[in-house]
Amino acid sequence: MRIDSFITRTAKEDPGKIALEEGEKTISYGFLDKDIGRIASSMMEFGHCRFAVLAESGIQYIEMLMAVYRSDNIAIPLPIELAMFSLEHILDTGNIRHIIVTEVQYTRFGESFFDRFATVIVVSEDGSVNTLHKMILEESNDPHLRLVLYTSGTTGNPKGVMLSDRNLVANADSIIEVLGIKPDDKAALVISPHHAFGNSIIDSHLVVGGSIRIGSMSFIGSVFSMMKSGVSMFYGVPSTYRLLLRYPAKFKQAFMNIKVAATAGGAIDDIIVKNLKGSNRDLRVVPMYGQTEATARLAYLPSEDVDKFVDSIGKAIPGVTLDVFDADGCSVGPNITGELVASGDNIMLGYLDDEIATGKKIINGWMHTGDLAEKLPNGYFRLLGRKDDIIKIGDHRINPRELERYIQKNIDVSGVFVVPVPHNILGNAICLMVMPNSSTDVASVLSFCRKNLPGYLCPLEVLCIDQLPLSENGKISNRSIIEGYRNVKNSM
Amino acid sequence: MEQIRNDIIYFLKSQSFMDSDTQFAENESLTKAGIIDSIGLLELLDHISERYSIEIPEDMLTPDNLDSLQGITNLIVKLKTERS
Repeated sequence: MRIDSFITRTAKEDPGKIALEEGEKTISYGFLDKDIGRIASSMMEFGHCRFAVLAESGIQYIEMLMAVYRSDNIAIPLPIELAMFSLEHILDTGNIRHIIVTEVQYTRFGESFFDRFATVIVVSEDGSVNTLHKMILEESNDPHLRLVLYTSGTTGNPKGVMLSDRNLVANADSIIEVLGIKPDDKAALVISPHHAFGNSIIDSHLVVGGSIRIGSMSFIGSVFSMMKSGVSMFYGVPSTYRLLLRYPAKFKQAFMNIKVAATAGGAIDDIIVKNLKGSNRDLRVVPMYGQTEATARLAYLPSEDVDKFVDSIGKAIPGVTLDVFDADGCSVGPNITGELVASGDNIMLGYLDDEIATGKKIINGWMHTGDLAEKLPNGYFRLLGRKDDIIKIGDHRINPRELERYIQKNIDVSGVFVVPVPHNILGNAICLMVMPNSSTDVASVLSFCRKNLPGYLCPLEVLCIDQLPLSENGKISNRSIIEGYRNVKNSM
Repeated sequence: MEQIRNDIIYFLKSQSFMDSDTQFAENESLTKAGIIDSIGLLELLDHISERYSIEIPEDMLTPDNLDSLQGITNLIVKLKTERS
């Protein structure tokens, strides 16, 4: 089944049921279904073609996306926060010849930007659909392709992840089961809908016949008030929660009536968990792990284990199998580091027009996540950093995240980051950046390393920093650490 | 009022949120125009608090007050009047 057909189903059973809310606007399933049909009618003649969807977050975005699905075309949401050259890169490499765009974005990008397209369909604020030009061209696409989501591109250029109806429905079903989403639940969508996490919120709540209130993290006052308007499920990346925590009293009030607070897109910390639980004893905090290549989710940590296992990703969601493989592709036992791999109906068809990259990502039916992990004795999985982050020092292969953990456990600091730096004999060596607390003594950090680590792991330098070396999307990797290190060096 | 408005525009231009030749209407949405996002807004809020020595209550962090030049200018005027 296609995602939009679930909307039709609810529209038949309960047409007056509220589907989406945005500011003062609300739309019922009945009217949502009609709007989708009306917009889809402008794309019906295209036989399974690639359509860029250029729209800001909101009811209109969801209508346009579902209309592309309903007309049996392929939706390619453009992340509007990207710089113009990244968007152009996506459009060129993706051979995207058709676009459906809101009037607001059409005005913002300007007429000449749209010259590149064979077809331009503009949807105005009042819902009218205007086809500016139209040319139907032959395209050969994977017959199952429905949606292309772009990865955020932390490592180089963004890659287009090809997803099918089966991928989307399978992942929505798993999320519904894990979070216990019901038709009377209302989700808060405050993160970008153009990426996997936001998209999965839309799919899972619309499949179950629930409602979604759409907002934006730009206006925190509005987020706090929307949470008091009957929202039962809140979703955010760690930085969403950190932003809200700038106002602890409001945070506590806002989460008072929330049933589930789910997180994804990065590791959640104790402070966030403590604050969430402190606001509401019945609140279920559910950290989730996933990748765009898996539609969205792969694993979740059951809320009852959040305190005990906050440093793990928990277990596979229903319908997914997770395992840890060694370099030869063999499954390893507990407490042995290897690469986390996954299989299930949510695993992507492949990367758009890139068979080589696809072949490296999916091997013998297993998707290789690129994350290092170990199985815990209770069956949960713990992440140990990115596979690409392994540092070669002489002939030793070092996992910087493991080293950081070891140092942090043994000395008095609030954070440790290993920075790979060039070394004329060993090829690489390391420096440390530490986030000190009130009693940290840099000399003792160095002497601890000197005494307890082999010589090649002894840092050439220990620098103090006062903020986490996070990447733009709030993650820690060698890349973000090296960037942070350069910034510190430049400001010295 | 005019001065506050110009100060906000100067801030947005000097911090590269927009080009020096960008034109937009008083009530145009800054977020929809892609000029500012949630992290950029934090910077703007810090600037406003410091420049005008005002505290912006959480309840006022809404699109009406922050998503347009007009809204921001009105908000600052209002908070400054309340303070004095």
